[in-house]
Amino acid sequence: MSKRLKLTDILVTIVIAIVFGLIYKISGPLYDIVKILGFQAEQLTYGIYFIAAPVAMLIIRKPGVALLAEVAAAMMEVLFAGSGGIINFYYGIIQGAFSEIIFLIFAYKKFNLPVTILSGLAAAVGSYILDYYYGDLVDLAGWNILLNVVFRFLGTIVISGFIAYFLVKALEKTGVTNLVRPASKDDYDVLNK
Amino acid sequence: MNTYWNPNQKWLARVNPSLKFLTIAAIFMIYLFVHNFNVMLVSSFAFFIFYLFCNGFSKKLSFWLVAMTFILSVFSASAMVFFGKGTHMLFEWHLITISIESMTRGLHLGLRTFVYGMLGLIFASTTEPVPFFYSVMQQLRIPPKYAYSFLAAFRLIPIMIEEYRIIRAAMKVRGMSEEKGLRAFYRRMKRYAIILLAQAIRRAQRIAVAMEAKQFSMVKKRTYYYQIGFSRYDVLFTCLILLIIIGSWIFSSYVPLTPYNNVLERSY
Repeated sequence: MSKRLKLTDILVTIVIAIVFGLIYKISGPLYDIVKILGFQAEQLTYGIYFIAAPVAMLIIRKPGVALLAEVAAAMMEVLFAGSGGIINFYYGIIQGAFSEIIFLIFAYKKFNLPVTILSGLAAAVGSYILDYYYGDLVDLAGWNILLNVVFRFLGTIVISGFIAYFLVKALEKTGVTNLVRPASKDDYDVLNK
Repeated sequence: MNTYWNPNQKWLARVNPSLKFLTIAAIFMIYLFVHNFNVMLVSSFAFFIFYLFCNGFSKKLSFWLVAMTFILSVFSASAMVFFGKGTHMLFEWHLITISIESMTRGLHLGLRTFVYGMLGLIFASTTEPVPFFYSVMQQLRIPPKYAYSFLAAFRLIPIMIEEYRIIRAAMKVRGMSEEKGLRAFYRRMKRYAIILLAQAIRRAQRIAVAMEAKQFSMVKKRTYYYQIGFSRYDVLFTCLILLIIIGSWIFSSYVPLTPYNNVLERSY
């Protein structure tokens, strides 16, 4: 059972990333419009930008998939002239890397709901690193920063935690995940019976 | 030698895509650390002019994209302008506290968003996926299995859109799009997402198997159908970008349009 990424893994990851890249592109303007109020309500939907990594990782379950998926989705957004422009590429790298770290910590063996949520939250933490330089976030009033953080983490738990996890669960029922997932220990146990 | 260039394209489309991408990615880093409001003001204007003259979109599309970027810039300034920290108050009403500091910092943020938006549009409007991914393979040495995966995936987009239309029509025929309410919305979203993703994964897996069956990525040294190289347009592009960045610094140090030379300073 090879843990290195093969052409099939890469192609499937990038196709999943394209689907989410299109969603990122479409949700960009919606996200921007809510911003005008200044009450950080748009942060509730921020979690959508972290979803490509956990979904691809839960489907393919190999090292590097989360990072590749998030970077590819961000690259798509840049090529499709998504709002925000070139900055999305950097957000993609940093969010993908942070998402990946969580799966790495669990040695690419655990793919349950808590790990999925953790990977989303890690991506959210990663996004704040760039926000610190880009948005001068620390110069906002205290309550506004608090709203920003609470909303972003809440949205992340729901969207890139629960929705991502149950989306992949539903995909498993269709049987497509068996095409692309490496054989697990359970599969070998079935053969030995 | 096969070249990809289409004679009707703008000159920016002929700039080496890897060079264009790396340059724009580098400008991002530079402007992340610019805290001089005057420099930001002049350079956002300069990049806007650059975009106006060099973009590859149609006039109508271009207008809407610039309008969107402008609105996004205004919006991204709003939280900082209204709720930013500061001591020199201009306006106070309940939670809204507009100070000189929050105002300049917010506007600075808005201009920065605008510059990044313009850079993104300059890149997206003049870069086609095919030369871009051929270029990253040849100039940046990205392994072909990644670049060709992107190219194959791009081909799937029209098929996915077609599929989306079919599902929508099928649901309409069965009266399923008539349902109202949050639960129906959730069910509808789930149906679209599952069908589209499942089909996309199946198709991607089949394409990969077919590519490997045709000996893709089996050889170490490979040849390319399109050769992407460098030309005089690359020199022109690099010079123009350097001119904008350095020019805006020099201009604002001799002719400061506003007194705000550092938006991070806590008092003026």
